Amino acid sequence: MGIKSFSRARAIHVMLVYTGGCNGCDIEIVNSILSPRFDAEQYKVFLTWNPREADVLVVTGPVTHLNRKPLEAIYEAIPEPKLVVAAGSCALMGGVYKNIHGDIPSEEIEGPVENIIPVAAKVPGCAVRPQDVLAGVVTLLPTLLDAD
Amino acid sequence: MEEKVPRSNIIETEIPLGTVHPAALEPYRVRLFVEDEIVQEAEITIGVNHRGIERIMEGLPVEKGNALTEKICGICSNSHVWNSCRTAEIGLDIEIPERARYIRVIMGELERLHSHFLYLAHGCETVAHETFSMRVFYLREIVMELLAMIGGNRVQYGCPIIGGVRPRCDLDEAKLLRLKTDMDKIEEGLTGFADRFLADSILISRITGVGVLPTKQAIRLAVTGPTLRATGVARDLRTTMYEYDDFDFNVVTQPDGDVKSNLLMRVLESFESIKIIRQAIANIPEGKVVNRDWEMFDTDMIESYIEVPRGTLYHSYYLESGRIRHCIIRTPSMANIAAMQYACIGDHITDAQLSIVQCDPCFTCTDRAIEIIRR
Repeated sequence: MGIKSFSRARAIHVMLVYTGGCNGCDIEIVNSILSPRFDAEQYKVFLTWNPREADVLVVTGPVTHLNRKPLEAIYEAIPEPKLVVAAGSCALMGGVYKNIHGDIPSEEIEGPVENIIPVAAKVPGCAVRPQDVLAGVVTLLPTLLDAD
Repeated sequence: MEEKVPRSNIIETEIPLGTVHPAALEPYRVRLFVEDEIVQEAEITIGVNHRGIERIMEGLPVEKGNALTEKICGICSNSHVWNSCRTAEIGLDIEIPERARYIRVIMGELERLHSHFLYLAHGCETVAHETFSMRVFYLREIVMELLAMIGGNRVQYGCPIIGGVRPRCDLDEAKLLRLKTDMDKIEEGLTGFADRFLADSILISRITGVGVLPTKQAIRLAVTGPTLRATGVARDLRTTMYEYDDFDFNVVTQPDGDVKSNLLMRVLESFESIKIIRQAIANIPEGKVVNRDWEMFDTDMIESYIEVPRGTLYHSYYLESGRIRHCIIRTPSMANIAAMQYACIGDHITDAQLSIVQCDPCFTCTDRAIEIIRR
């Protein structure tokens, strides 16, 4: 393990971006990192709101029209190496908002997140369980630590 | 305190925040107009999260539409299904079994607890007191697990259906016992939190007199829910709802309308919720939980108002051959946005975010097409 990955493993910063879902996933993700019950901070995973210090971007929500540009801007602002976790069924496939009418998708929704930025891990669930979010972030760690 | 009046002259310095900003959890845009670091005028714009829920509900079968209303908000999800089912029940004259009514009240009050705890945690975090925030998050986890026990999911429980509650949410002896013991735990934890909170003189001096919303103005802006009650107006829709007829509880009010009043309001209201849940556990009647004996027919516009954790929730739709027509949903934050704008005025710029948070914003559920009709 090089010095880079050694130090990176001690400060994984997760940024949460919210693109128009129902708020349920966001609270669960903030809960899984901050709250004392799940507490990802004890594994040195921190929540940040600054894209310039983030390593992992967690995206929730089906990406509404007006959220597309901010999402792209945030993704651009994150320094390499960066990885994206799409969390919740809205981020994975547009959720009920896009698909409730079957073959005719809703016009309000630009998602899923894959259409806009490359996604490295997908966490299913409506709403996601905190354990699943942690598992999703943890599976990305080897890729993140081995990157230059 | 008299009414707060925004300045009418042109203010040069504008501080825009948003739509996506580190200080705000949800995307919204707030423009603060500042003079000498004092906010003179604030303007909140929403519309980023517009998903067109009312539009996609048009023409859906009513059962499917009810399930969709749950996805409007991830915090008060149960309230939306409850009120949507209640709307259909009012229109179709469906009698609800007594036991189902009690379970709905239990779910509603558990949701109020978790919403208020989230508010307290978020409020304490905005004041930058992380320890208190963590304490409340820890308490909230007990409520979340109770909700997961009853509904099977931590956020979207899908408890009410037309005619009662989902049979999965029926409460047996073991579940009632766990509810009872956990209520004791929550009460103990919350009492401890409240004692420490009030004994912390630094925190209290930080939040007293900040973000005041005058009573007169609150009434004029049609502010609802705990934000209104924190300005001293005892208005709670639960006193008029037939579901709460059998329960004995107080409508809590606080005098000042500032951040301190708002935070204490939530703490005191949580105790009332615990009281209601205890009464429901003690008196829950036997019987079936869902009444399937009803028929679908076309109706005129049906309206239903209930009190949800953040204020008054309104659902209305027509039923036409079992399908939803012209659905309108009005969430409490819609009225409270005006309160947030006025609460910012006259305070230091660093308190602006706190003044917005004290009105318990949930812009996610509020985002839908709005037409303001001036009369």
